[in-house]
Amino acid sequence: MSILELKNISKSFTGTQVLFGVDFFVEEGEIHALLGENGAGKSTLMNILAGVLPMDNGSITFDGQEYYNPSIQQMEKAGLAFVHQELNVVNDLTVSENIFLNREIVGKTRKLNKKEMLAQSRKLFDDLGVDIDPTILVSELKTSQKQLLEICRALYADAKLLILDEPTTALSNDEIERLFGILKALKKTGKSFIFISHKMPEIFDLADRYTVLRNGKLISTGDIKDTTTFDITCDMVGEQFVDKETYAEHELGEIALELQNYSGQGFSDVNLRVKKGEVVAFTGLAGSGASELMQSMFGALRVESGSMFFKGKDVRGNITKFMKSHIAMLPTNRKENSVIPDMTVLENSYIAEHSLSRKYPVINKKREIVKYDDLKGKLNIKAQSPDDLITSLSGGNQQKVFLARWLNTEAEILLFDNPTQGVDVGAKEEIYELIMRFAEAGKTVIINTLEIPEIKKVSDRCVVFYAGRVVKIFDHEEINERDVMLYSTNAIDAAAGSESMEDN
Amino acid sequence: MEAKKRNKPLKIAGSLWKKYSFVLVFILILVVYAITISSNGNTFNWGHISGILSSQNTVIVGTMALGMGFVIITGQIDLSVGSALVLCSGVTVVVFNITNNIFLTILAALGSGLILGSINGVLVAYAKMPPFIVTLGTMLIYRSLALSQVRAISPDITGSSSSQFALLSDNSSYNFLRMVFGTGSLKIGAFSIPYVTFLFVAMVIIFVYISKNTKYGKSVYATGSNEKATHLVGIKVQRVKFSVFALTGLLVGVASLIQVCKIGNITPASSAQAYEMYAIAAVVLGGINMMGGRGNVVGILFGALSYTTINFIIVSIPSLSADIQNTFQGLVLLLVILVQTAGPAIKEKFTGRRKVVTQL
Repeated sequence: MSILELKNISKSFTGTQVLFGVDFFVEEGEIHALLGENGAGKSTLMNILAGVLPMDNGSITFDGQEYYNPSIQQMEKAGLAFVHQELNVVNDLTVSENIFLNREIVGKTRKLNKKEMLAQSRKLFDDLGVDIDPTILVSELKTSQKQLLEICRALYADAKLLILDEPTTALSNDEIERLFGILKALKKTGKSFIFISHKMPEIFDLADRYTVLRNGKLISTGDIKDTTTFDITCDMVGEQFVDKETYAEHELGEIALELQNYSGQGFSDVNLRVKKGEVVAFTGLAGSGASELMQSMFGALRVESGSMFFKGKDVRGNITKFMKSHIAMLPTNRKENSVIPDMTVLENSYIAEHSLSRKYPVINKKREIVKYDDLKGKLNIKAQSPDDLITSLSGGNQQKVFLARWLNTEAEILLFDNPTQGVDVGAKEEIYELIMRFAEAGKTVIINTLEIPEIKKVSDRCVVFYAGRVVKIFDHEEINERDVMLYSTNAIDAAAGSESMEDN
Repeated sequence: MEAKKRNKPLKIAGSLWKKYSFVLVFILILVVYAITISSNGNTFNWGHISGILSSQNTVIVGTMALGMGFVIITGQIDLSVGSALVLCSGVTVVVFNITNNIFLTILAALGSGLILGSINGVLVAYAKMPPFIVTLGTMLIYRSLALSQVRAISPDITGSSSSQFALLSDNSSYNFLRMVFGTGSLKIGAFSIPYVTFLFVAMVIIFVYISKNTKYGKSVYATGSNEKATHLVGIKVQRVKFSVFALTGLLVGVASLIQVCKIGNITPASSAQAYEMYAIAAVVLGGINMMGGRGNVVGILFGALSYTTINFIIVSIPSLSADIQNTFQGLVLLLVILVQTAGPAIKEKFTGRRKVVTQL
C-alpha cells in the first residue's frame, strides 16, 4: 500500500514553472531515493508535501487521507517529519528536553515530570539502538548525533514518513554506516523514508526504490535493483543538448596562477596551474571542498598549508592582501554575502574598489557615475537610476552589479562562486557570455558551480572535487555532464581517476 | 503596470516623508511650542528659538548624539557617553585650572574623550564583547572614577570645595572661555546665535559630510547593513566598529568642552544623568534605524532640536510639574517610533502584499 501519493503536482514561482505535473509515490516500509540536479524541483516538491509551500495544482494523499495545501502542523500531526539539512535542534536544551519540546509530560501542578521524560528518552534510544545520553546538552553532541536526535524526535512523535534531506553531508563514513544501520532497522518496523542524496554509493546501499526529477518533470522511477548508477546519472542530466553555443576557443597565455599542495578547511593537497585568460570550472557536491578552496584563494578562509602563486608571488594573508594582488571573488549565496541591502546600486558597485583606494577618502560621485554607466552598458545592467536601492533589482541584475563591483577593482583573477545561483535563465546566458568576454580580455576566471550544464558552456577545463580532493580534471572536449556527474558522485572509484590528475 | 504609474506622485510623497519625516516632526513640535507660548500670553519670538538652539540638550547631547548615530548605524550601541562626558569634563577642568592654557584645555578635552571612546572600541571590536555590556560597564566605571576623584583632588585644582569640578575664575583665560565663547553669542541684526551653537552646527556639517561623501562613511553604513558582505569586499569591519566608538569619544570631548565653557562646572554625582538615553532618543527621533545600516545623519540635528523643544513645551505649561517631563518625552518618542515602524506594516496590510515566507 502506498503511504504517500503525490499526483500531478504543479508549481510556479513568479511566472517560472518549476514543477510540471509530477507524480511521486512512496510505499509503506521503503526507503525511496529522490534524485535530481540542483534546481530539478526536489526541494520544492518536498516543501509542498510538508506544507511549507502551497501548490498550484495536484493532490496529496498521505496515510489514506487527502490534503489540499495543508499547513505544516497538519502534516506533522498526520505523521510526516522533515529532517532538514540544517538541523532544527535547540542547542541550549538537553537531549531529553529537545525530544519533549512542546509536548512535555507534566504533573498535576503543571510541573515538568523530568524523571518520566528521561525514562522515555532512554527507552526510545534503547529501542533504536542509539547511544546518546539524554541528560547532556545538545550543544555537546556531534553533528551525526544531532541528526539522529532529530530522527528520534520525529519517531517519538509517531512519524510514519520521514524526509531526510542530504543527511550524510556532514557525517564521517563510520557515522554514515551507523545511521544507515538504524534506518534499515526502522524500515523493517514499517517506517518509510524519502532519502534525498547525490551520493550514488549511498543510494545503492540504502534505497529500495528511486525517483528522478529533471527540470521540474518526472523522468524515471523504479526499483533500485533494476537500475545502475550509470542509468540514473543519465536520467539526472538528460540528453546532451546545447541550447546555445557560448563557448568559443580563445587564446591562453602564460601560467598565471599556481596552487601548490594547497590545504585548508574542507580540502587538501590541491595542485593546479591556471593560465592567463583561461576559464576553469570547479565542481563537486556540497561538502566537496570546492567552495572552501575558492574562499581560501581570496583570503576569506584560512589556508592551513601550501601556497598560491600569482605572477610568481606567494599571495597570503587577509582579503585586502588578495584584493591588492588583483584577485576578486564573487561569493556564493548572493543575499547573504554580496547584497548590502540598505545601499544603492551605485554604492554597491563601487564599495570594493573604495576599500582599495582608501587613501583618497572623498567620494567623487560624478566620476563614480561615469564609471558605473560604463559598466552598466558593458554588463547590460537593467536599473533605472544608480540611486535606487540594490534590493529593487531582480536577482540577475543584482548579480551583474556585483560583477561590476569586482570589475571596478581591475582584478585579473576572477573567482566566481556559484555565479548563476538564483538568477533567471536569460540573465544566466548573459553571465556566461560575460565570462567568455572576460577571458578573451585576458582575465583568468575560475567558477565554482554545482550546475553541470554551465561547465560545458564556459570552461576550458573542469576540475571535479570529491571529499576535499581533486578526483578528475577534464579538458573542454572531454567535458560531458554524465562523466562529470559520475566523478562528482563518486560513482566511479576515485582511484581510477587519480592518474589523470597529472595532466594539468 | 498601470496601477504603478498612477501611484507615482503618491510614491514620491511617500518616499520624501520617509526620508525627511524628522523635519516634519520637528516643525510640528515647534508649532505646538509656539501655541503654548501664545496661550501663556507671550509672543513667540527669536529668543525662544535661540533658547532651543543654545540649550544644553541641543548642543551637548546633540554633539554626543552625532557619535551615537554612527555607532547605531553600525548596528551597535554606546551607553557610556553620559558618564564619559562627566569624566572628560572633570579632566578638562583640572587641566585648565592647572595650566590656564586654552590650547592644552582643548587638547585635554579631545584627548581624554578619544581615550575613553577607544577603550570601548577595543573591547567591542577586538575583544569581541557585546557593545551593550561593554558600554554598560564603562558607564559605571567612568562616572565613578570622576566621583571618587572630585573629593580626592584638592579644591585648588578642582576649583570648588563642594563635590564639583569648576573652572577657576581667577585664571586669566577664564573670561575668554566662559564669557566670550561659552555663553556669548554672535549678533546678526536682530538675531543672536550663541557661539556654542556654531560649534555644534559645525560638527553636524562635518559628520553629515563624512557620512555622505567619504569612503569611510559608506563603510560605516555597509557594516551595519550587511557585515558579512562588507567583510567580503575587503573592508576591515572590526576597524570600522572600533572607529565609531573612538569618534564618539572624540565628540564627547567636544561636548565636554561645551559643558565646561557654557556651564562652567560639572558635578559627577548629578550632572549629565541619562544623557546617553537622550542621545539615543535624538538619534531615533532623527530617523536612524536602530537595526543599523540606515538613516540620515542630518536627522540627528532635528532629533536633538525636537527633544529640546519637547522639554521647553513641558516647562512652559505652568500646570505641569517638571517631574512629569520624562513621561511626555517618553510618550512622544514612542509615538514617533510607532509611526515609523507600524507605518509600513499598515501600508502592507492595505495594499494586500504578502511576503513570501520561504524562498528556495
